[in-house]
Amino acid sequence: MTDESMTNGTMTKSQRIGEIVETSTTGFVAVSKTLHQPPALGSLVKVQLGGEDYAYGVVAFGTTVSPDPGRRAVPRASDEVYDEAVYARQPQLTRVLHTEFSVVLVGCFEDGSIRQHLPPHPPRLHYDVHECTSDEVRRFSERLVYFRLLLDAQGQVPAEQLLAAHIRQVYRARGHDAAWLERAARQVTSLLRDDYDRMMTVLYGIEP
Amino acid sequence: MARKRLGVVTDGAFNAGLTVRLDPGVSTEEMRIGEFVVVEGEGNRYFSLISDMQLRATDAALLADPPREASPFIAQALRGTTTYATVQVKPMLMMPRGADTDFLVDLEPPQPVRTIPMHFAELHEATESDFGAVFGHEDRTHFAMGKPLTMDIPICINLARLVERSNGVFGQSGTGKSFLVRLLLCGVIESGLAVNLVFDMHDEYAFGKESEDGVFVKGLKHLFGSKLLVYSLDEKAQARGGRGVDVTLQIGLNQIEAEDVLLLAEELNLRATAEANVGLLTDAYGADWLSRFLAMSPTDISAFCEQYGAHEGSLSALQRNLKRIERRPYVVPEAPFSVIDEMVAALDKGQHVILHFGRYDHPLDHMLVANVVTRRVRHLYREKVERYEQTQSPADKPRPLMITIEEAHKFLNPAVSRQTIFGVIARELRKYHVTLTVVDQRPSGIDSEVLSQLGTRITGKLTDERDIEAVLTGVSGRSFLRGTLESLDTREQVLLMGHAVPMPIVVQTRKYDEVFYAALGAGEKRSAQLDIVELFGE
Ligand SMILES: Nc1ncnc2c1ncn2[C@@H]1O[C@H](COP(=O)(O)OP(=O)(O)O)[C@@H](O)[C@H]1O
Ligand SMILES: [Mg+2]
Repeated sequence: MTDESMTNGTMTKSQRIGEIVETSTTGFVAVSKTLHQPPALGSLVKVQLGGEDYAYGVVAFGTTVSPDPGRRAVPRASDEVYDEAVYARQPQLTRVLHTEFSVVLVGCFEDGSIRQHLPPHPPRLHYDVHECTSDEVRRFSERLVYFRLLLDAQGQVPAEQLLAAHIRQVYRARGHDAAWLERAARQVTSLLRDDYDRMMTVLYGIEP
Repeated sequence: MARKRLGVVTDGAFNAGLTVRLDPGVSTEEMRIGEFVVVEGEGNRYFSLISDMQLRATDAALLADPPREASPFIAQALRGTTTYATVQVKPMLMMPRGADTDFLVDLEPPQPVRTIPMHFAELHEATESDFGAVFGHEDRTHFAMGKPLTMDIPICINLARLVERSNGVFGQSGTGKSFLVRLLLCGVIESGLAVNLVFDMHDEYAFGKESEDGVFVKGLKHLFGSKLLVYSLDEKAQARGGRGVDVTLQIGLNQIEAEDVLLLAEELNLRATAEANVGLLTDAYGADWLSRFLAMSPTDISAFCEQYGAHEGSLSALQRNLKRIERRPYVVPEAPFSVIDEMVAALDKGQHVILHFGRYDHPLDHMLVANVVTRRVRHLYREKVERYEQTQSPADKPRPLMITIEEAHKFLNPAVSRQTIFGVIARELRKYHVTLTVVDQRPSGIDSEVLSQLGTRITGKLTDERDIEAVLTGVSGRSFLRGTLESLDTREQVLLMGHAVPMPIVVQTRKYDEVFYAALGAGEKRSAQLDIVELFGE
């Protein structure tokens, strides 16, 4: 399930991890290719917009539900059968359940360069969502202007938790780049200077 | 040379100075009050001083509830954004910015500031070339007084300007005033820009002395040999081998004037009536008044009182008090003025004079002798200047004379400064080519009118509020300098300000030690060369 695409002139291999089932200008919802394994909270993903252009987003929420929106799952475990064994005993479960994740858009690759603003068009329904390689993560996170977009996200996860998760992800992808983390922390304090509590939430969340 | 950026201007007023927000990585602890810094405006470079520092936080919540267990990571992240520091910067001089160059040497010298830079002008650490642009480089008229606190380069004062006006050297006891005066004297002597008359009240300038650090330091006689004459009051000093006293000085009762006695009112415990009585005596006897008065018997006194309507009791009390003068071993009934006149002739030839008090280390001695000698010297200088004004011949031009006195407040306190010759010299500026270097640990004791005439002030640490006020009398930007003064180290750090420096600056005083003597020797040779050129042409 790999595809090869040219991004910023470099050949990059990236994983297809989901398919868009709901989309808008600020974000989209995708169904994960693998049950129970949505991309990590805060990780960077991308969707092709056409030609060389991509939209970049940050995974903001994940959930596993039955496809019928009205119905909630019923308990199926017992003292002997639990966790993975439940699925082994009832294989149909893996067919009826699915894992979805939502993504907040934070930038795009347009006219040969990375932009940290909303893409001009929403990504298309049924398009594939790709995981970004650490190289792409590194390149995208060189500038930190997009932290603002993350902080404005109106999702189920509080924006400062989302931002903290994202910074942790990037820090890891950049091979524990301390200088970058320091820069990110500074950006956080600058953006949240008027809200000490939220600022401290992020700082405590990203402290190495 | 790369300049280290410290922050950006965010606020300011011409009068109040600029507020600079420090960059996140810059700590207040890297900076010093009084530090010389540079603000880069669009069109000008501003040479400035750091006058204050403040710690700030954007959020009151942080101050109310500071993070209890802030890891270095969090403290670091907060620093510069949520918590930040600002410094107050006072531009002192400005200079047009060349085409993005660090080399300012060939441009015109820095000018007084007439404007301020706009928002976001950058604050930088000063570089060597900035110091050079402002303070010049060591040469015959630029003498290195020390180095800035942050850098190992010489800071020079302009000796030509120094000798143009009276100057003050202040600081608490032990801050290094006497050492600094030694340096200054060496600089002036070496430059040949003025001749010196030094009243060596505590036996420190003429001869070597052990410093508080237990090092033996050389006296000026050691360093300058025959270029410098030592006149001593102490008749035993000449006998002591190896000290090199040139002349033993005596003071005659005939040389002591009413003014000298009245200056000693406190030392001699004179009553309020003394002034009137001395007036009567001088009216009656003229120049001889003191010896005649001291020789009077009780009957003479009552006869005098009858004739002039004086009060017998107060006159006899005055006589008793004045006998203390007569009993000073260096005081003789009659002394010729020729000794002092020869001293002035030596000064004329470019020799320097130190008046050594030796064992006569009492304020009474200091004041009496300094006053008598200085009055005569000033008198001769006055004649010289008047002659020069007539002839206008360069040969008649008197060499500028710099007179150094310690314990200056004794001579220049408001009660006496109008009468003493020192007060006169301080006030008449350099009219007769004579200026003072006043050295004092209690500047508040000096008449403020005298203080405001001082051209260059060099001051070590002062803590008394009144002393600080006094030193800053008539100085612009005093509120900035006050903080600087208070923050000086207790030793070997001074604030230089006034006529001989383009802008105030704090320096670590140059060491008066072997290295200095050696540098002086090198300079000696240089100036000998200059003298030869002066005398015989290239
Ligand atoms: N420039 C200097 N070089 C070497 N030692 C110095 C210098 N200035 C001060 N000191 C040291 O500090 C001590 C006090 O200095 P001094 O000039 O006697 O102080 P003050 O005259 O102000 O009372 C000296 O004995 C010496 O040890
Ligand atoms: Mg002293």
